[in-house]
Amino acid sequence: MNVSQPHRTLLDHNAKAKIGKRRMQSYTLWIVSGIFLAAVLGIVLMILGAVAVLGFPGLTAATFLTDTQGIAGGLQNAILGTLVLILASIIISGTLGVLGGMYIAIFAGPKVASVLRFATEVLSGVPSIIIGYFGYTMMVVSWGFGYSLLAAAISLAVLTLPYIVRTTEASLRQVPKSYYEGGLALGLTQEATLRKIMFRPALPGVLTGILLAISIGLGETAPLLFTAGWSNFNPSLQLLHSPVAYLTYVVWTYSQEPFAASHQLAYTAALLLILLLLVLHIVVRLLQRKKVA
Amino acid sequence: MKFSSAFSKLFKVATGIAAGGPLLIVLVIIIALVIDSIPALRYQGWSFFTGTSWNMGNAYASTLSIHGGEKAAFGASFGILPFIVGTLSTSLIALVIAIPVAVLTALILVYKVPKSLGKVISPMIELLAGIPSVVYGLWGILVVAPFVQHVLGPWLMHLGTIIPFLAGPIQTGYGLLTAGLVLAVMIIPIVTSTTRDLLMQVPQLPMEGAYALGLTSFEGIRFIALPWIRRGLFGAVVLGWGRALGETMAVLMVSGGAANMPANLYSAVTTMASAIAADLDSAMNDYTHMSVHALTLLALTLLVITLVTNVAARLLVYLGRRGPDVEVQA
Amino acid sequence: MNKASKGSMVAIAAALLVSYAGYASLQNHSPSASAAAHRVAKKHVAAGAIHLQETGSTLLFPLFQSWVPAYKKVASNVFITPAGTGSGVGIQDASSGAVQIGASDAFMNNGQLASAPGILNIPLAISAQQIMYNVPGLKKSVHLHLTGNVIAQMFLGNIKYWNAPQIQALNKGIRLPHHAIVPVHRQDGSGDTFLFTQFMTDTNAKWAKNVQFGTSVNWPQVTSALGAVGNNGVVQLASQTPGSIAYVGISWLNNALHQGLGEAELQNKAGKFVLPTAATIKAAANMMIRHTPKDERISLIYAPGAQSYPIINYEYAIVNKKQANPATATAVKNLLLWAISVKGGNKPMFMNKVHFLPLPASIAPLSRAQINQIKG
Repeated sequence: MNVSQPHRTLLDHNAKAKIGKRRMQSYTLWIVSGIFLAAVLGIVLMILGAVAVLGFPGLTAATFLTDTQGIAGGLQNAILGTLVLILASIIISGTLGVLGGMYIAIFAGPKVASVLRFATEVLSGVPSIIIGYFGYTMMVVSWGFGYSLLAAAISLAVLTLPYIVRTTEASLRQVPKSYYEGGLALGLTQEATLRKIMFRPALPGVLTGILLAISIGLGETAPLLFTAGWSNFNPSLQLLHSPVAYLTYVVWTYSQEPFAASHQLAYTAALLLILLLLVLHIVVRLLQRKKVA
Repeated sequence: MKFSSAFSKLFKVATGIAAGGPLLIVLVIIIALVIDSIPALRYQGWSFFTGTSWNMGNAYASTLSIHGGEKAAFGASFGILPFIVGTLSTSLIALVIAIPVAVLTALILVYKVPKSLGKVISPMIELLAGIPSVVYGLWGILVVAPFVQHVLGPWLMHLGTIIPFLAGPIQTGYGLLTAGLVLAVMIIPIVTSTTRDLLMQVPQLPMEGAYALGLTSFEGIRFIALPWIRRGLFGAVVLGWGRALGETMAVLMVSGGAANMPANLYSAVTTMASAIAADLDSAMNDYTHMSVHALTLLALTLLVITLVTNVAARLLVYLGRRGPDVEVQA
Repeated sequence: MNKASKGSMVAIAAALLVSYAGYASLQNHSPSASAAAHRVAKKHVAAGAIHLQETGSTLLFPLFQSWVPAYKKVASNVFITPAGTGSGVGIQDASSGAVQIGASDAFMNNGQLASAPGILNIPLAISAQQIMYNVPGLKKSVHLHLTGNVIAQMFLGNIKYWNAPQIQALNKGIRLPHHAIVPVHRQDGSGDTFLFTQFMTDTNAKWAKNVQFGTSVNWPQVTSALGAVGNNGVVQLASQTPGSIAYVGISWLNNALHQGLGEAELQNKAGKFVLPTAATIKAAANMMIRHTPKDERISLIYAPGAQSYPIINYEYAIVNKKQANPATATAVKNLLLWAISVKGGNKPMFMNKVHFLPLPASIAPLSRAQINQIKG
């Protein structure tokens, strides 16, 4: 992988100078790359560090054990609400996304696949505020869902669906075609081949896609503001007419309020979001390693 | 056996229906957007796209404004050109910064950084993608805006003699450049992690062959690796651009929020997505509903711009020499 | 391949069908919503607990949030969940039946009321707004004197520098710098904008003609003008931008002063320069008592009287007269009656934290009369 030695004997003086110049160019670019990497890491550490420093003082047992009260309080309702929202939306988008990805990768003809893939890409380009607005006018108002788990979960699912479809399809495509043909040759149905032979090697990729979807869902504010509403209480698990609390609401709304206690709660909520993200990353990585091994 | 074959069929139909999901949702959104935005087009005409003044009108006035047979709040007129310019310019700045940074970062991660260290660094970069955009907005306000106002801006102004657009004056840190920088940081993880995954799929053999021929490591990358992943890289960039076009909250917080055409790199701007977010609440006070229709048309325009850039990008790839088929992973 | 394309045809057909259904449902708005609200609310009553939802004004949100734990002790079976969504959404939600209580800094306009009859605008408290500035080199103890007319000219771009003669004439003996003025406004729709632009409309003829008022307006195209999101964003932006002038809700006063912004003394209708204090806000409110109509939809801006502060307003609860059922109606009624009572939600302990003032003693009966119209 490293630079191998060129044939010196064949080179005249001029060419040697040229090589020197090319080497310099190469070194310079690697140095620039190094600087960029350091800059990106610096920004990551700066943001994570700031959130940790600002959020940590507010992190106590009460954060997990009490609900949001008045201008401050705990975050139990928002933590549970976030988990419920994510779970509900992933049930929807995970099912649709994995099945849909399978269809595009295995069953669909090239033309149909490209149409469906295009639609998926368009959907991923729809700004989240538009999805939130539709969730509001259609589900919350017209269909009478009210601010509810269902309206929020569907909105989040719409937002995350394209990522799951795309990764599922890509991972399945990476499984050699011969596996598929082999499965069929063994007399298995298409479905059985897919389920028993193709899906296992594709699983780490699919899981990565779902993780990505969860990460995106965790960080969203705009679509939830208009569909989940906000609640001072733990999620009721009712699908309709019962608003749900979530962490990004706290980050957004409480950072806009004129009280130091509210700001502290917002920072703590941001820290929790990032910790949640970290835990998810680690869990999925462990899962992947297990599946590969 | 019979049961299993029936199940197999059922399963296939189920996957087909699921695959139709995104298409269905896109169709619902587009059809509803189109129908809901027609009154705005009738009221404002084509000056909707070329006008520079956005005014939802006074819903408390006793009279209404009527144009093209449509009623709107008194004095309402809808021109979205500044928002279009704001959206395109912020996302372009973001791309110009993010692409080289992301690609070079991915290259060094794959080819130079030891694997064990890379295993720590890569997830950290991916973590950037999951940070709530509100946190990016706060970071933009507290860190990036002052940095642009006091450090980067004054430095760039020296180049103003060559490129007048950089000349300033700088009034505040909130504006085009800050929004572009924040957006760049938001799309860097997307492009970096995709590029890294793509680079890992580049076969060793041709790379080693290139080095054996005396190419420097960077030449090997330029002539072998990058062309190899060209299509996938393009997809990643389009993905990042899509996010930059549609990003709402973070841009809303740092863009300075003026609905004027930007005069220089530091001017306050408004993007289409952030205009929708900022005006949605007031639009609901407009009992003629024309403001909501206008915002819908704005949303539709944004969607069309996203679509057109996507299609144009695909066309470019298609017209270009067909490279090896490496798909985007994420 | 063949079967596959058949499957996808089905998928596409289904997509078209459902998208049409989706559109159709977009067309018929509220009736089905309130019907559904009815059904669900009835279920709740059977369970004994009553859930009340409030959405709307972000200015009122902190106050409402602080009421929740206190009201729990008054009525333990009532579960209240307020959310700060913006006044427009609050009005829409209360009208469509999505929530029981909306909150708004601005009263509903005639057109809105016509399309949603039976909606009440009930003042819960009094709020105010101050004008803040970031003028380099000015002493902290100094409060600049400003008039609505001069502020309007600054926002219109007609007065460009802080040492302009119009400003200097109001502030004799203060050395003002030759620094460009940066007018800062709210980028998101806001009750604060509603109040500020009304004050501008009342004091400047050009503004009244060209800009007018609303929760968002077409801001004059001044090249230096900036917008920010939320009062917090405005305070932050103004404090980072030398030369700025901005309007900020009274709840943010301490924050803004702490960030180094100056607070202007505004000229009232009687020509006196006043700061927003409990005394001047109360004085202005008292002057407007006799003007307040039965439905209480009135602007309190630019009240007469030597002591009156010119930018104050009622903070409204937006409630449908006709609630889903008697139990919900009673719960809403009791909550609102408690909220406007000086022994309940209008207690100093709640008001002081957000710098609001309780409803004047002679206005409270008007609000009470409106609240008593709520039926199940």
